[in-house]
Amino acid sequence: MNPNTFENYQTENFFDEMFGNSNDSNIFEFYKPIYDRITDLTESEFEQKKKQADSSFLEHGVTFTVYGDDIGTERIFPFDLVPRVIPDKEWQKVEQGLRQRILALNLFLNDVYHGGKIISDGVIPEEVVKTSAHFRKEMVGFDVPQDIYIHVCGSDLIRDEKGKYLVLEDNARCPSGASYLLENREIMKKTFPRTYQKMSVRSVEEYPEILLRSLENLTPRKLQKPVCVLLTPGVYNSAYFEHTFLARQMGIEIVEGKDLIAIDGFVYMRTTQGLVQVDVIYRRLDDEFLDPLFFNKNSLLGVSGLMDAYLKGNVAIANGIGTGVVDDKVTYAYVPEMIHYYLGQDPMIEQVPTYLCWREKDRKFVLENLSELVVKSANESGGYGMLIGNISTQKEREEFASRIKDNPRDYIAQPIISLSRHPTFCPHGVEGRHIDLRPFILYGEDIEIVPGGLTRVALEKNSLVVNSSQGGGSKDTWVLSN
Amino acid sequence: MLSRVADNLYWMSRYVERAEGVTRLVEVNRDTDLEFYASEIKRDYWQSALCAMCAVDDFANDEIDDHELFILFSKKWSSSVLTCINMARENARMVRDQLSEEIWVELNNLYLFLNSSTFPEKFRSDPENFFRRTIRFSLVFQGLSDATIHHDEGWRFMSLGRYLERSDQTSRVIDTLTMLGEEPTRLDLIGALRSCSALSAYRRQYQGALSLRNVADFLLFSRDFPRSLRFAVSRIDTLLHEISGVPSGNFSNEAERLTGSALAQLNFSGIESLLADGLHESIDHLQRKLIEVGQSIFETYVLLPFEIKNAGVAPMAQRQMQQQ
Repeated sequence: MNPNTFENYQTENFFDEMFGNSNDSNIFEFYKPIYDRITDLTESEFEQKKKQADSSFLEHGVTFTVYGDDIGTERIFPFDLVPRVIPDKEWQKVEQGLRQRILALNLFLNDVYHGGKIISDGVIPEEVVKTSAHFRKEMVGFDVPQDIYIHVCGSDLIRDEKGKYLVLEDNARCPSGASYLLENREIMKKTFPRTYQKMSVRSVEEYPEILLRSLENLTPRKLQKPVCVLLTPGVYNSAYFEHTFLARQMGIEIVEGKDLIAIDGFVYMRTTQGLVQVDVIYRRLDDEFLDPLFFNKNSLLGVSGLMDAYLKGNVAIANGIGTGVVDDKVTYAYVPEMIHYYLGQDPMIEQVPTYLCWREKDRKFVLENLSELVVKSANESGGYGMLIGNISTQKEREEFASRIKDNPRDYIAQPIISLSRHPTFCPHGVEGRHIDLRPFILYGEDIEIVPGGLTRVALEKNSLVVNSSQGGGSKDTWVLSN
Repeated sequence: MLSRVADNLYWMSRYVERAEGVTRLVEVNRDTDLEFYASEIKRDYWQSALCAMCAVDDFANDEIDDHELFILFSKKWSSSVLTCINMARENARMVRDQLSEEIWVELNNLYLFLNSSTFPEKFRSDPENFFRRTIRFSLVFQGLSDATIHHDEGWRFMSLGRYLERSDQTSRVIDTLTMLGEEPTRLDLIGALRSCSALSAYRRQYQGALSLRNVADFLLFSRDFPRSLRFAVSRIDTLLHEISGVPSGNFSNEAERLTGSALAQLNFSGIESLLADGLHESIDHLQRKLIEVGQSIFETYVLLPFEIKNAGVAPMAQRQMQQQ
């Protein structure tokens, strides 16, 4: 059977991005042009397009590294040719909600590192903040440039069985994926040029420019062209492709820790013509590794003396140090309260109800209902450290139960959400696969969000895990302009 | 530019050039081996090739026991064609933002080809394809370097890597002729010329008169042939002065001084005086000078002054040593 046929397509009991809740194949109007284009393809045309896309990714080295495999195994991030389409009105609502959220998160960080009014007012318990794995006490009382902590934020969105958007988690440290978003778009423009034009899809290519502007906005020296660099952990990091990609697109140097040197409170890069002072560092390295004098003493990736220069205000770092507090899934549970507290508003995008295991009542409930819940470790990402109740074994549940009892602060639980599904090419025709959306929110002089984001898709049937490290793939996301 | 980037660019193109040189050497050896079958002279070409590449011990310690396969595909030896391509790509990966898309795609394609699971079978059934493809890649790589990227500092470091490697390769090829233990035969001389892809250029200049004197003269002193030692050293000299901005004839660092003195020797001495001093000794001397040039470039542009004193500790220095 053709891989591009919808003949046996079933939406089942999920919200389908193309067909909604209906099983009578009433397609959403805004999906029509691309649906027609795909179903018009002959099998060989389809195969050819698919092959072109795959080889283009591999040849251009659009790869990521899988840990735990052989060291440095590179794979292409699987890509699906059916684009996700988001109509203009729907996107506007999402965009507003994301703006609201990053504002509140940023105000929260500024607050907890400056006395913590939100704590003394009793909105969030102090112990939640102070026991967070990524809380940096060194940052207390320090004023970050322009009061911005989160310059790039990836707040993952999902849609439930009714199609309602929900925030699943916030990534306020070093969210990755923007390069795939840009590369996917390049490929899709080549694959379906006329349909792309006909649907008037909003462009995303400005992302690197906006990112550079928001970095330059932080410079401590008032120069016409501040020296910005991208700090990477190096060539074996899973997101290394993305680092070089973004550096190239922004036209800035990509540096490793050993390319930088801190002398007397200033940071320099080592060039063939001598040392050059650095103003802004876009780091793709976690806090712990930034400065062996300050954090992890064994880190070979960082720069000795970097934190000293940062705290003296001689170099800016994006994202700021200590933003990981809001990535903590326990803090996440309090974001609606933050939005009320700082902005006096209701959250425009809701989030997933969360049980906090350190609360005795919640813990009791969680332990009694493990098979109906998703249990997550508060500070892991990438789909690691997770229990999905309904597909877990008795043994796994017992293991998680004992982990929860030993360390209640580190675990949260949420109801299992049936993520929305999207038509996806599979070997025997188009089938529905679960997806989420990672938008990229840039906080510079203004808050700017490129339309859409990276749609991640769980390629395995019935799987809910979309992370690339766990066999997920991606799709291009088309936000329409009218 | 970043010192590390300069270092990566230099090594990337050095490894590409080395892959080409080693591939040619093996291709020529295979062919000459066939010719010698019918003659009475017995030559252990592979052994002298290993000698010239200082790889005798590496071969003895490798799990691959076939000379040819070792030189091409050893995973342990730092100059096998496979290692060279992998290292070139590794260096390229670290500086992808500096390269044109075309360069990356070509290099990555060859890397994927050599490392694919089907490659060993493909090599067994059609080795010629491998030789053609690898040599052609290096030529395309050079063309793309010249035609698709800025001829700025980074390009100069790439060119430095290429010409230093080339001067090293050419001098080794001539040196193999001195290590045969007897006068080189016609086939030996043709082999040496072909290893430098110099056969037809040589024939045009000497109209077929093959002698050790003429071959050495051509490969060492030709002013215009792009693989002669003189040509390569002259390019190195120009590039170094373009990088530092100091006029040629002067020097601002050790690399420039050594290159200048090697170039003066190649410009103003001749084959007769070299033969009088002993071909092997003279080449050995030049070779050592060029190795020092490489080291001085590294000390001038990559290390900071305080790191040179304790170069053993600096991580970059460690990496440099590994690569060499």
